[in-house]
Parts: sequence; C-alpha cells; structure tokens
Amino acid sequence: MDLNVQQRVIKVVAEVTNLSEREIELTASLAQDLKMDSLQRMTLFIALEDEFQDDAMAPEQVAGLATIRDIVGFIEKKLGQSPPL
Amino acid sequence: MRRRVVISGAGAVSAIGVGIEQFWRGCLEGNAVVAPIPAAWTERATLHSRLWSPLPQIDPEALGIARTERLQLDPFAMLALGAAREALASAGFGLTPVERTRAFTVAGEDAARFGVFMGTGIGGAYTFLHNHAQHLSRSPRYHPFVVSMLMPNACSAVIANKFSLHGPNVTYCIACASGTVSVGNAYRAVRGGELELALAGGAEFLNDEHGHIFRGFDIAGTLVRDCADPETANRPFDEKRSGFLFSQGGAALLVLEELEHALRRGAPILAELAGFAETFDAHSMMSMAPEGAQVERMIRACLADAGLEAAAVGYVNAHGTGTRNNDEIESKVIERVFGRSVPVNSTKSLLGHTIGASGAFEALVTALTLRDGRTHINKNLQTPCCDLNYVRSTEPFHPQAGLSQSFAFGGHNAAVLLRRYNG
Repeated sequence: MDLNVQQRVIKVVAEVTNLSEREIELTASLAQDLKMDSLQRMTLFIALEDEFQDDAMAPEQVAGLATIRDIVGFIEKKLGQSPPL
Repeated sequence: MRRRVVISGAGAVSAIGVGIEQFWRGCLEGNAVVAPIPAAWTERATLHSRLWSPLPQIDPEALGIARTERLQLDPFAMLALGAAREALASAGFGLTPVERTRAFTVAGEDAARFGVFMGTGIGGAYTFLHNHAQHLSRSPRYHPFVVSMLMPNACSAVIANKFSLHGPNVTYCIACASGTVSVGNAYRAVRGGELELALAGGAEFLNDEHGHIFRGFDIAGTLVRDCADPETANRPFDEKRSGFLFSQGGAALLVLEELEHALRRGAPILAELAGFAETFDAHSMMSMAPEGAQVERMIRACLADAGLEAAAVGYVNAHGTGTRNNDEIESKVIERVFGRSVPVNSTKSLLGHTIGASGAFEALVTALTLRDGRTHINKNLQTPCCDLNYVRSTEPFHPQAGLSQSFAFGGHNAAVLLRRYNG
C-alpha cells in the first residue's frame, strides 16, 4: 500500500470529519466508525478529487467504498492507470 | 425613545483592495482596476464592451475558508464569508471555535438576537453556468452540491452557519439595490428592537468561463462602449459617459449594532445609521422613470425617517452608474432635493458596477466619509453632465450626514441615510 496515498487520504478524511489524523484507522468504516452521513460522504469525495486532482470520483463510481482502506486501494488503482501525480 | 443604530465593524473584498483599510486607501487614492475582458468571451459573441474590473487573485484560506468549505461554495458566498469574518473582527468580537466543526460562536453575544441580511443580484450564477456547461457536454462530472451553491440565499446562510447566528437570516435579490435594501432592513430590525446586532451587506461574483453574464449586460447596451482608453472609459456623470464598467464582483459587509450595546462593549463606531426608504418606479423593467419622481419621493421619505432636513445632508454617494439615462435623471433629482452645492460622487467610478454588492460598498464609503471627513474623487470626470458639486479632490469637508442611494433593474429605488457619530 502506497504510504503517500494513505497519508493523503487520511488527511482529507480528517478535514471532512474534523477528527485528528491519529484518530483515523485504516480499517475504519465511513458509516459505522466515522459516523459519516451521506453529505459528509459526498464532501469527502469532492475533497479527494481536489487532493488528487482527479475529477472522476462521481457518487456512482465510489458507491461501494466502505472503509479507508477501500478508498486508498481505489485511488492507488486509479493512479496506476494514469501518470503519477 | 427610538433605539439608535451604529456601524461598529466592516469588511470588504474588492478589486481595489481586500480589507476595509486597503479598500478605503484605494478609494482615497482614486484607484481603479480596469482590464480587457478574457479572450475566451470574445470568441463566442460580438461584444460592444471590451473592459471589466477584475478581482485580485483571492486565496480562500486567507479569508479563513477551509478546503471543505471552498469546495461547497460558489465564489460569491466565499466573498461574503470573507468579508463577514473581517467585519466581526473589526467590530472587536472574539470568535470561539465550536468543537469538532469549522464553525465559531461570537463570544458573549446572544446568537438569537444577531441576524444576517445580505443582498445579491444573481447569486451563484457561476456555479449554475459551470455545471450547465458540464451537463451539455454529457460530462459525468456534476457537482453534488450544485443546488446549495447556486441558491442566492447561500450568502446569508453560510455566514450564519459559520458564526452560529440564529436571528433572522435573509437574502434580498433586488438587482443593483440589493446591498442597500439589505442594510436598510437590518437597520430597521435593530432599530425596532428585534435584534441587537446584524451583519448586513452584499456579495456578487459576475464571472463565468464563457462570458454569459457579461454578454447579457452587453447586449442590453448598459456597458461602457467607448473602450479606446481603458483608463478613462469608466466616467460616471461625464458628458462622454457610455455605460457602466462591468465588475467581477466583490463583497462588503457592515456590523449594525444598537448604540448602547456598542458603547457597553467599547466597540469602534464608524457612523450612525439614521434612515432608510424604498420606492418603486412601476415604469420599466430596465430603465428609470424619466422624471425620477419615485427617486425623489424615496429621498424625502428617507430624510423624514431620519428626522433630518435636506440641508443637513452634506454628502451624497450616488448610484452613478455611468449610463446615459441614470446619471442625468439622478443628477436632476439630487439638485431638486439638495441643491447644487452638496458634494456628490460615484463609487462605481472606481469599482465599476458590482451589482448586488454595490449598495453595500457605497454605504461603507458613506460611513468612512463621515468618519474621516473626506471622500474619494468622482474619477474620470472631465465635463460634468450637470451643474452639481461632483467631488474632484479628497480635501477635508466634514459632512454631518450622508445619503447613499441605489436604483435597480425592475424599478426599485432604495436609500440609507447615515450620520457622523459625535457621541
């Protein structure tokens, strides 16, 4: 797992949830552990689009992502398909 | 006894300065920012006007706006939020962070008696047009918050959400009079005892990638046509005026506060608000009634509301767009009510026309003029269209009261009357 991607995802999750980065585990689920509602979830993905300068994280494309680890894997896969940022 | 209302803080984001002191210094120096419109706009239409007044590059973080907020706000709401934050700070309020959020409370104040009154002409038009273009191009990218970004009331709502204010929260959409109407209604709410405090002003962002908004004003024939010399193209009240200078926008906000409340806090007082009036032409959607009868009735109602005679008013901040009809009709009304000697200027001669924010900028200029006893020149005035005392220097003149008036597409007229605060 790319540590850089992982750190950047956790940083963005912290911005959206107003938790500290230390409180966010890789295994945390967005809904159960981080208590993110649907609006926060949408905010998270537009913030991730901004962070990774990738505007293809529309709700239908990220619908199945449940945990931080899922998101990191999703972004790593996307980065692998395009030139490094 | 009627409650008195003072202006105890202000914030501004404008083409000539971000922050009220920079804005006011820019005004007194007669600064203006005039530039060619973006080339992309001219590729899509034959435009008559070729100039605008762009904003400086705005850093949202410098306005206290975090990324997660920026991504959910149209620029007009960000401008409003930045100016609101400055207004609260300049009024001497402490802000207490609300745990686990990006919000604050205003320390020591009753949030239920603190309202927000904003004005905007077109709200989040940038967001609407940007996403419309995406939609037409069949792009899968469509912003999930487009509705809450484009709605005009976003500018008042975002301020109250950020600073946890629970009083009335209103956005007036009254075109070019929006800012004046918002300040006037906030004044009434504080004067009437409904509120102790209000943030009031206007915000506008008149930009889009393809120049739609500019084209709308251009085809209506309202914008400066004589663009040969950008430095002098914008010339309200001049014989050679040819329309108004399109502005990219901006925001100006005032903190209105009941006088005793402000004195107890030891708040700085810029000026006192003393009167407000509105009338409606019922003549045309886009042009002023030629005799200006309803403008005159509005000014006289504003004087009556303030309990002042016309002779007590020592300064008029005119609507002064620079269009052929506006400036002539307005000048004649000013002469009928105040005579020829009252100093008159147009803040639009510096900023261009910020539409829904303009009345708020002009109320702010009126307050600062009364505070400092000097005002800005009416820029680019060579041959006046009428025999009035248009301001040509920044020499001190110490007016005791000043009128700021706005007229709007639709037929709206609104004015606020301010008094110098002498204790």
